[in-house]
Amino acid sequence: MEDHPRLRNTVLTIAGLVVLALVMAFIDRLAAADDPISGIVKFSSAMAMFAIWGVATVSLNLVNGTLGILSLGHHGFMLIGGYTTGLLILSDQARGRILDSARSQMTDATLGISISNWLEAFGLTGLTTDDTLWVRFLIAVFIGGLVAAVAGLLVGIPSLRLRGDYLAIVTFGFGEIIRLSASTRIVAPLTNGALGFPGVPQAFGNSTLWTFGFLAITVFVMAKLKYSSYGRAMEGIREDEIAAEAMGVNLAYHKVLGFAISAFFAGVAGGLWVSWLGGVRLDFFLFQLTFFFLVALSAGGTGSITGVLLGTALVVFVRQYGDPLEEQYAIATWLVIAAVTLAIGALGVLVFRYLQRLRPRLHPSIFVLLGAAGVALVISVIDPGFIEGSFRGFGMRAIFLSVLLIVIMVFRPEGITGRAEFSWAAVFRERRDQPTDEERAQDAWLTNPELAKRLEEAERAARGGPDDDESEEG
Amino acid sequence: MAMLEVSNLNKSFGGIQAMTDVGFSVEEGEILSVIGPNGAGKTTLFNLITGVYRPDSGDIRFEDRSLVGFKPNQIVDMGVARTFQNLRLFTHLSVLDNVLLPQHHKLRSTWMSAVFRTPGYRRQEREMREFAMEKLAFFGPRLMSYRLHQPVMMLSYANRRRSEIARAMATGAKLLLLDEPSAGMNPKETTEITGIIRRMRDEGGYTILLVEHKMNLVGEISDRVLVLDYGQKIAEGSYQDVVNDPKVVEAYLGKKAEDADSDGELPA
Repeated sequence: MEDHPRLRNTVLTIAGLVVLALVMAFIDRLAAADDPISGIVKFSSAMAMFAIWGVATVSLNLVNGTLGILSLGHHGFMLIGGYTTGLLILSDQARGRILDSARSQMTDATLGISISNWLEAFGLTGLTTDDTLWVRFLIAVFIGGLVAAVAGLLVGIPSLRLRGDYLAIVTFGFGEIIRLSASTRIVAPLTNGALGFPGVPQAFGNSTLWTFGFLAITVFVMAKLKYSSYGRAMEGIREDEIAAEAMGVNLAYHKVLGFAISAFFAGVAGGLWVSWLGGVRLDFFLFQLTFFFLVALSAGGTGSITGVLLGTALVVFVRQYGDPLEEQYAIATWLVIAAVTLAIGALGVLVFRYLQRLRPRLHPSIFVLLGAAGVALVISVIDPGFIEGSFRGFGMRAIFLSVLLIVIMVFRPEGITGRAEFSWAAVFRERRDQPTDEERAQDAWLTNPELAKRLEEAERAARGGPDDDESEEG
Repeated sequence: MAMLEVSNLNKSFGGIQAMTDVGFSVEEGEILSVIGPNGAGKTTLFNLITGVYRPDSGDIRFEDRSLVGFKPNQIVDMGVARTFQNLRLFTHLSVLDNVLLPQHHKLRSTWMSAVFRTPGYRRQEREMREFAMEKLAFFGPRLMSYRLHQPVMMLSYANRRRSEIARAMATGAKLLLLDEPSAGMNPKETTEITGIIRRMRDEGGYTILLVEHKMNLVGEISDRVLVLDYGQKIAEGSYQDVVNDPKVVEAYLGKKAEDADSDGELPA
């Protein structure tokens, strides 16, 4: 069975991770330098955001992709993790400022909940300095994840008896309940109501090295889980619940387990997210967040960790680098942009038809797209008086993302990667699901001995002269 | 003591009495076929035994433990597994995964040790693989080698049927309920599957409860045959006895013209 070069794969993976870590550390250094290279700060923060959202989407993928349950409450679990981490890691100065603020609903007691205080109580004062903030951050994120996982259990146990659309609605409802309860008076001493609180240290959420470290751990756990017996059972539930149960899979247990693990990592993502943003506020955790995760999942390939990360990269980079689309341009400029987009679309259709070997290669739609691009270009060049003026592309980023999603759904409904995963075996083109020549011959014997015999004879004749070996009996 | 004992089983769906006072037993190492016209309640019987439905009354005892009230996955744990009439394979998973998955309920590792691949988990995974290969070997080279890694949706229909049976065997159950294992197979493949079912009993040590429509298959391998019609047991015994039973002939072909009801209505 061991036809997989394991050692080679492990070495390559570790080498890849080391290179990645070095690159991330380098980006961090550049961004933190006194005189950063132009754009590097923005790039590093976009990379960190990608990693944080990656933690969230990869964990959502466990429920939506591996278990096949549509969950819409991910932002709720992120919120729980975010608020917990934020409160636990708040610096003393920030606490003081919150207490001084007139509108603060937080009290001395609730603000006393902090990792530093706990560590001091245990006499570990060495861990409460500024240099050791990372220890406290790790503890805080871990606790945030645990609290979210407990919430996941509480939400999951009653709701996972439902199926399909009903379950989606319930998870959405729970997500919103969590979000809205955070602003109620009962928990306001902990959450500061709708205002939230600033002052969460940003050193980790904005560091590409740290966030990619968390992403690497998440991907490790999710990938190992997916390719374990538990992952198989969960995929079985996705494929066919009735058959999975008839094959001995405990449906409730595995659904709740997947839901809780997913919620744990959502909580971790929430903790990183508040650190990226530098504060905790109710509107950092809108349903929009889950919506963007779902876009990333569908665009990348639901069920595939590789695909989900690609989809996340797409969403994050369109969001972070799409601002030129939202600026004010003359209508003539917009026409040029439209012409270029249409031309790219025409090229895309051509490439798609070529790759898919569709006939005719030059489909009429290509000419329609090119014609429209030409018309737009001509109008912008002539620049007739009636189209003068300018237009601000407000919301163009979202429109661009939506159009991109539509295009992916039309041409590749399973997402960029489908269910396929990245693997070294695929890189080296080691396919185990294709027959060797020997196996092909054996197949031929099984299905059609006559034909196989004739083929063998033809081959022997081609080799020149009959062999002395006895021919096999069918 | 019989391996499986079913007594006075009743089940109704709304106003339809799907199962009326059915009772029979399966001895260890036996092949018992359940036959009957369409809608006779054969699949309902399977669903009752495997816990998909709960009987209204009556008892199902497997190795002297009642199966009534347990969930399908718990019944698999006790040692009863089934195949489905209209294949319910995990179509996107590979053949190997399809045969490994039913062994999951035997896994004695937490999800944490599975994620971190502890030695104990690795050993169990290796054992699961060996067990899977052992079960697949029943079907010859067809499902071995490269096909192991192909998703089931790429397989031919006959190979899917074989995978479905292999999957049920891999649960580690002692009693297998095969729901039309030869449906959709050509005569050659039917002959082959007949041989495989016999070998499953002789070499694999399985006890088999079989629903089948192909009478030549039933006649060839059954130790005993149970005939159901409208949810009632109308005959039980050796194949020869049963097919000559006038009640069975009537259930399949209807009464002779002179015996038919006066209103001339055709039996369903």
